[in-house]
Amino acid sequence: MSRYFYYLVFVNMLANVVASVPKILLAKKSEGAIVSMILAIFIGLALCYIVARFFNAFPGQGLPELMGKYMPGWFGKLLLLFIAGAWSVAGLITLVTYSFLLKRFLTPDMPLVFITSILLFFISYGILMKTSSVLYTVEFVLLCCLPVIVLIMIKSYTTPELEWDFIREAMMHTYELPSFSALSASTYLFLGGFNLIIFNRFFTKKHKITIKQILLIGLLGGGVLFTTYFIPIGMNGFEGIEKIAYPWIFTSDTLRLDLGVIERILFVFLILYLAISFLSILIHWHVVLELTKSVITTKRFKFKDINLTPYIIVGVIWLGSIQITKYLTEYQLSLFSSYFFNLLLCSLFGLISLFWFILRRAKS
Amino acid sequence: MPFKNRKSDVEVELEWLINELKPSSDILHKPLRLDDKQAELVYIKSVVDGAQLQQIVIKPFFELASEQHVEAYLKSLPNQQEFTSKEQVLLELTKGSVVVKLKDELLLFEIKKVNTDTVRETNIEPTIMGPQYALSEDLATNLNLIRQRYHKPSLTVETMEIGKKSNQSLAIIYDEEYVLDGVLEQIKSQLESLDEPVVQTSTQIQRFINNQKRSLIPIMMMTERTDRVVYNLAGGKVVLLLDGSPTTIIAPAIFWDFMTSMEDNYGMYWVTKFSKFLRYLGLFVSLILPGLYVAATSFNPEVFRVELALSIAGSRIGVPYPSFIEVLFMLIFMELLTEASIRLPKAVTGTATTVGGLILGTAATEAALASNIIIIIVGAVAISTFVIPINEMSFAIRFMRYLLLLAATLAGLAGLTLGLIGLLMYVANRDSFGEPYFKIFFKKKQAETRVKPS
Repeated sequence: MSRYFYYLVFVNMLANVVASVPKILLAKKSEGAIVSMILAIFIGLALCYIVARFFNAFPGQGLPELMGKYMPGWFGKLLLLFIAGAWSVAGLITLVTYSFLLKRFLTPDMPLVFITSILLFFISYGILMKTSSVLYTVEFVLLCCLPVIVLIMIKSYTTPELEWDFIREAMMHTYELPSFSALSASTYLFLGGFNLIIFNRFFTKKHKITIKQILLIGLLGGGVLFTTYFIPIGMNGFEGIEKIAYPWIFTSDTLRLDLGVIERILFVFLILYLAISFLSILIHWHVVLELTKSVITTKRFKFKDINLTPYIIVGVIWLGSIQITKYLTEYQLSLFSSYFFNLLLCSLFGLISLFWFILRRAKS
Repeated sequence: MPFKNRKSDVEVELEWLINELKPSSDILHKPLRLDDKQAELVYIKSVVDGAQLQQIVIKPFFELASEQHVEAYLKSLPNQQEFTSKEQVLLELTKGSVVVKLKDELLLFEIKKVNTDTVRETNIEPTIMGPQYALSEDLATNLNLIRQRYHKPSLTVETMEIGKKSNQSLAIIYDEEYVLDGVLEQIKSQLESLDEPVVQTSTQIQRFINNQKRSLIPIMMMTERTDRVVYNLAGGKVVLLLDGSPTTIIAPAIFWDFMTSMEDNYGMYWVTKFSKFLRYLGLFVSLILPGLYVAATSFNPEVFRVELALSIAGSRIGVPYPSFIEVLFMLIFMELLTEASIRLPKAVTGTATTVGGLILGTAATEAALASNIIIIIVGAVAISTFVIPINEMSFAIRFMRYLLLLAATLAGLAGLTLGLIGLLMYVANRDSFGEPYFKIFFKKKQAETRVKPS
């Protein structure tokens, strides 16, 4: 697989470590979170493999092109709009989560709408870019973040504050029936590969998909899941961990860089996640924009030869996200995210059958 | 014969040429005559090398026995030029050619006088190792300099004329074997569609064929170093060389090219890696330091460790305005100083920098108009901007700094981070003649500068 595929997967994994996913998992700490996580690794890898295999069969074509070829027009358009809706919610969750985080921890003096607008301003420029430019940006930012991620990992695993006894205590709840919301939340970490529905336009060559590559993704995903679930427990204790609003922010604030210019790792962590959440929103909404552009092909929105459709979509995104940011509370956010993960996992099976259908039509 | 008195075509043409050039005082129309030998010379005195003309045209004319001999001699001269149309001849005359009418024929010879062919020392991009001479301001000399460093039969030089009024010659140089055809065609078509009356320097071309009305970052690289030209030719790039300009431009150029100094190829491995690291550090520092200062003093003093936060706050005691005005104030003065030292005559530059840098800086802190730390920051920023080897890029970075300062002023550390990503996206979204401008290359250089499939 092309290295850019890993970036798509990896950004999605990292971006969701910070907010809703660990919260949902920790809420189910004694209702089968661990088994759900283990199951999720297998389901996630299978989904990853399927989507990579499917799009590898059609190099250089995104889902809209395939739909146009093998599906009746109105049905395809309806389906694409539905997918665009799901993806915009995915981006929105990250956006709102991070706006709340910024408001609470980094820039408490600024109004929430202003924080969201600043994020949206840069994102709107980003999603209007070419698909290849989006990937180059993702690659560079991820590479810059990598040393910081490694630093935080090393710090959090080596700090004396990490009590392995708490983790052992959490491990005792392994033999429990899995919970669906924990399963869907942890499977969500593996779904970055589905961004191929648009980004496959960039992958114009056929690649080999080997078992090693899938295992690598599994290893990364397993590591991320393990870290995201057990480290907060190890730092903050097993009792009452589910009551913390942002478990990972708490966790990172227990870490100190004794000799660093920046003493509290919290701020390093916040900046890092600002970058990674940004990438995640960028990827999701770029997909939304491209999908919607492929559906709305009318030439009515024009001004001096410039097609206004993408700008109208961006405007709608602005309006929607600012309204929703104003309306939501932190509790509602995590509740709705959980609903969204559940729904998404179910509808993914629909998407997979769609892939299968297209593949069959393409063969005949 | 009935048509005896009628002038021949050649005479009409010659008369037309003279009439076209007539009002100038430096046009010369000289008949040569000895026994039965006859010839006429037409040229512009101020662009033709008189001594050479004497040596290779006039003297042999009087020494050779007959008109046939003269004709044979002249036609075998290597600097004879093609004669395609009257207009072309007229243009060539303005560049320093001589028209010789012999019998019923017009012959055209290039006997230019060039006063700009002295090769200058490297001035814009000096290095310790590597060639110390740059280019001259004459096209033929420059071509010679490049050809002498790159001996390969596939090196191709094409010339064309640009500038609707000035008709300056432009050489397009590339290695046939490695050049990317798409890039070459795009450059050529853009040059042909160029509609500018006067083009003076090669850097101007880079602004004209940029695809964008308003651009911030250069997508073609200006250089005066012949080793850089050769290095890039071997990598399959296209080099544009304008007559009268001491710099070439190289296309396509991507971001990393601008961060490369030629010395990176000459020094020891670790030494050059270290200097490369310094350069990127300089780039980073000069971009974010001003914004970081604003973010750290006005938005998030808690981010840094307590001692640092306190010492920054302590040094700002008595400064009467918010931190972004302080930064802007000092940065603008630093920029003015830089501008002034570029424009000033060399003799005065020293005074300007001393007065500006030393006295202004010390006095500003003593008058509590700026904190001590901001003076350090501005100094660091100024120095690290100059670490970037290619001038145009460092000017672009100079400008980008203010955008980041704005972002940090509006939204603190978050704004600074987002601003950096924003700039990154702007750069990643550009391309230079179809080549992605900001892409990370993992493979070795040989694999990336692919050899054209034959």
